[in-house]
Amino acid sequence: MPASCLFSRQQRAMLLSPDPELAELLRGLWDPHEVEWTVIREGRRAMEAIFNEPPDLLVVDNRLTDIPSVEVASIVKSENVYRQLPVLLCFDPEDLRRDWNWCEVEADDFLVRPFSAREAHERVLLTLCRASRAMDANPLTKLPGNTSIIGRIQDLIDRKDEFALAYCDLDYFKSFNDKYGFSRGDEVLMMTARVIVNTIRSFTGVKSFVGHVGGDDFVFIVPAHMAEEACQRVVAAFDDIVPHFYDAEDREQGCIISTDRQGAVRSFPLMALSIAVVFNTGGRLKHYGEASAIAMGLKKKAKENPKSSYVLDRRSE
Amino acid sequence: MEEDLKTSAKGQILSIRDLPTLPKVLDEVTRLVRDPSTSIEAIAKVISRDQVLSAKVLKMVNSPVYGFPGRISSIQHSLVLLGFNVIRGVIISTSVFDMMSKTMEGLWEHSVGCALATGLVARKAGLKDPEEYSVCGLLHDLGKVVAAVQLPELHKAVGEAVRERDLRWFEAEKAVLGFGHDRINAWLAQHWHLPPNIKEAMSSHHNPERAQLYPLHAAAVHVGDFIVRAFEYGSGGDDQAVPLAPQALTTLKLKLGDLDSVLDAFAANLGEVSGVNFAPEEA
Repeated sequence: MPASCLFSRQQRAMLLSPDPELAELLRGLWDPHEVEWTVIREGRRAMEAIFNEPPDLLVVDNRLTDIPSVEVASIVKSENVYRQLPVLLCFDPEDLRRDWNWCEVEADDFLVRPFSAREAHERVLLTLCRASRAMDANPLTKLPGNTSIIGRIQDLIDRKDEFALAYCDLDYFKSFNDKYGFSRGDEVLMMTARVIVNTIRSFTGVKSFVGHVGGDDFVFIVPAHMAEEACQRVVAAFDDIVPHFYDAEDREQGCIISTDRQGAVRSFPLMALSIAVVFNTGGRLKHYGEASAIAMGLKKKAKENPKSSYVLDRRSE
Repeated sequence: MEEDLKTSAKGQILSIRDLPTLPKVLDEVTRLVRDPSTSIEAIAKVISRDQVLSAKVLKMVNSPVYGFPGRISSIQHSLVLLGFNVIRGVIISTSVFDMMSKTMEGLWEHSVGCALATGLVARKAGLKDPEEYSVCGLLHDLGKVVAAVQLPELHKAVGEAVRERDLRWFEAEKAVLGFGHDRINAWLAQHWHLPPNIKEAMSSHHNPERAQLYPLHAAAVHVGDFIVRAFEYGSGGDDQAVPLAPQALTTLKLKLGDLDSVLDAFAANLGEVSGVNFAPEEA
């Protein structure tokens, strides 16, 4: 049984090992449509291939003779663009007699000879799952990020599921940040994330999803018929809580008053939440990009209102 | 010597892992969270009657883990931000007092009574967010509860001093420990990253004139404490009236005569909270 979260597409794995038995064992674990293995017997030769076309998983045998396996791992992991590539090391029992500094090695897991096919199977899946979770999480809120969001939306579109996709962002977040600084801004983002997650999760027994695109942009997905109530509840909870993230004086006066670079005094309302909701009913959406394009148009409409508001795309009905 | 006692007592107080509560409210919330369709409002209403459960959710939501320490002072907001799963986790991991529950019942009644009275005082004074003041009233004697759990010998000695020397609990604490529950409150509030308004109300309700940033909160709780004691509802550990600091009324822009209507409202609403019987049901 494959881990269902992974095999929506073929996984590309790479093995660097001079050991043909290991290659044979790994290749035998999955159908090539599920996991396609590229086996390279020498470490150095593989580097360019890894950089050009990073696989979904890199398995490095410590028996490589031309380059230490840990060096391969550290070359990969030291580059921010490749960091998320999971690396699994393969050891002989004697390799484990020495102490490993895992802070330095930055591998994700290891296997020890003699290999068991069952264990290798499960460990590879676990490593892939763990990487897909960790890879894309927003570093602040730990919510799924863009890759997961796009993947989820496209998957729902492909399955012709009926769903509502809501794009949320904060109005006047910038003026809050300007006055209170980034760390107070991060507090508001953490609060917003909790409000959205808990509100969406309070609809029990339905499939839903919350992601953090980045900055003050969030998305959530709920069944179409729940979208409006979800928006109302998210907005109500946000509006109720957000004043408490201001200092008492601004909370009292209900706005931030600041002087811009031209010396003009301006006032900015308290932050509000704008939500634009796109529906995929009757399989009208073909591609993720359509959903976001429609949402961006709606967002303008939601933003015309300085108070928290939501706009539902009713064109589909 | 006194400093040594204070340091070791502080360490004891802050090392508290498991703060128990009384069974009545806990049982009620436990029933509520069993049904995932229970509204957050319904849960908040019940938790707002229990100082320990309220303290637990406020402590959790204000912990740095959630990313906004010291911001949340409402039980309802706490529950929205924690979410159902976490709330249920807090509830199922809470134990009940297996002893001392008789003394504790008086403290619990005093606590909900003070929450009600403080909220009414805040309304009378025309303050914004009166619920916030109620929370301050609810938690104002939490230090006594924590001391009873973490410093049982000293707590007993304080109780004896109250009886034998006819002292108020607060005076007896100072005589026995060298510091009062107001100090314990301050330690806890600081350690748990509670919002500064709650912290100040907890630590200055006996001396509202000392409040630096939130004099209104400290003053409202001070007056609330006075009212609930005047009504002799529950017990703060002794049966004496507390002196009313005139400064507190000045801070709230209230006159002594204004308290009449607050007292009336308190009497009228007391039924709602005194219906909460903190004693366990007879088996």
